[in-house]
Amino acid sequence: VSKMNKDAQMRAAINQKLIETGERERLKELLRAKLIECGWKDQLKAHCKEVIKEKGLEHVTVDDLVAEITPKGRALVPDSVKKELLQRIRTFLAQHASL
Amino acid sequence: MEEMSLSGLDNSKLEAIAQEIYADLVEDSCLGFCFEVHRAVKCGYFFLDDTDPESMKDFEIVDQPGLDIFGQVFNQWKSKECVCPNCSRSIAASRFAPHLEKCLGMGRNSSRIANRRIANSNNMNKSESDQEDNDDINDNDWSYGSEKKAKKRKSDKLWYLPFQNPNSPRRSKSLKHKNGELSNSDPFKYNNSTGISYETLGPEELRSLLTTQCGVISEHTKKMCTRSLRCPQHTDEQRRAVRIYFLGSSAVLPEVESSLDNDSFDMTDSQALISRLQWDGSSDLSPSDSGSSKTSENQGWGLGTNSSESRKTKKKKSHLSLVGTASSLGSNKKKKPKPPAPPTPSIYDDIN
Repeated sequence: VSKMNKDAQMRAAINQKLIETGERERLKELLRAKLIECGWKDQLKAHCKEVIKEKGLEHVTVDDLVAEITPKGRALVPDSVKKELLQRIRTFLAQHASL
Repeated sequence: MEEMSLSGLDNSKLEAIAQEIYADLVEDSCLGFCFEVHRAVKCGYFFLDDTDPESMKDFEIVDQPGLDIFGQVFNQWKSKECVCPNCSRSIAASRFAPHLEKCLGMGRNSSRIANRRIANSNNMNKSESDQEDNDDINDNDWSYGSEKKAKKRKSDKLWYLPFQNPNSPRRSKSLKHKNGELSNSDPFKYNNSTGISYETLGPEELRSLLTTQCGVISEHTKKMCTRSLRCPQHTDEQRRAVRIYFLGSSAVLPEVESSLDNDSFDMTDSQALISRLQWDGSSDLSPSDSGSSKTSENQGWGLGTNSSESRKTKKKKSHLSLVGTASSLGSNKKKKPKPPAPPTPSIYDDIN
């Protein structure tokens, strides 16, 4: 139990660090740009249209969209984008672990 | 203490955390996207950018050789034609501006050309269509691509070649146009040593020129030959053709032409002789009298109607027989040295 607690504490500390340094915001911006660039957004939008037509324009909720889109969105991220992002996260972690 | 715990982590733990952070970020993006879409749907602008599939198909980008992205042939404009508001002919769009310049009389030469055209259409109504063709050819000379155009014209004209009258000067001219290796020369250079550009001449000038000079239009330079009436370079047939073309068929009499061939006296001499004798003749014949003017006209034109009156006159005045031949000689070449004022209109009517 104390180990689980320690893990959670550590994650919280890292997230805190990410936000404080502004790295999280930078990473988000980077990801956003990359996803638009590679057409991820357009693909998801097409998928959205299907979902919306299926459910009906008036009845669509944010929850419906999130449930339908998130798995697809995760899968559609290109490997190159994923690698680049992970690399930046690792570098961040290494810098802050060595402190 | 936190830093301590961080540094104590092993690599697999760090990797797991990195993956988690990444998943978090992606999820954030997805969530952001979902909010964006949801807002768009509820505000009603989500489907604005799409239309029905059919019209989407209509506006698809075309990627085929020879077509632009809209699926149109991109050199389509070549076949476009404009109708000239002045002469109501249809002219290729690329040729329209030079044509207008000429047709509306804005250029340096064009006013002269326009005037000539007006004069010609009044004078020779029957050859109006020819005139228009001629204009077309002139058009070419203005353009950078005259060579190319002329070739095209060549093929255009070939089909009616067999039907044309071989004696027609107009046709023989167009033939020359075809056969002559065309013609980078500019016909609007006015005078050079080899010839005169007939475009620039008025009817009167033309007449006087044709009475004294060969006048055959060169196929290379499009200028009139300025050598004597018997210049060896051109045949009598060519000379006759040119005169028919410019002055109308009534102006030329074949038998006179042949008499010219037989006569061996020099033209400049004969010219002087004619003018001198005609002054004599006209004073004798008193041109103010309509009957005698007719006589003088008969002689002058060498029409050989042999009206009793004219024969009488000839017999009576011995030197007038010479006048008859000489002036008839001159008649096809020269319209100017005829008895003054009164007969002139009737002669002009004849020409027309």
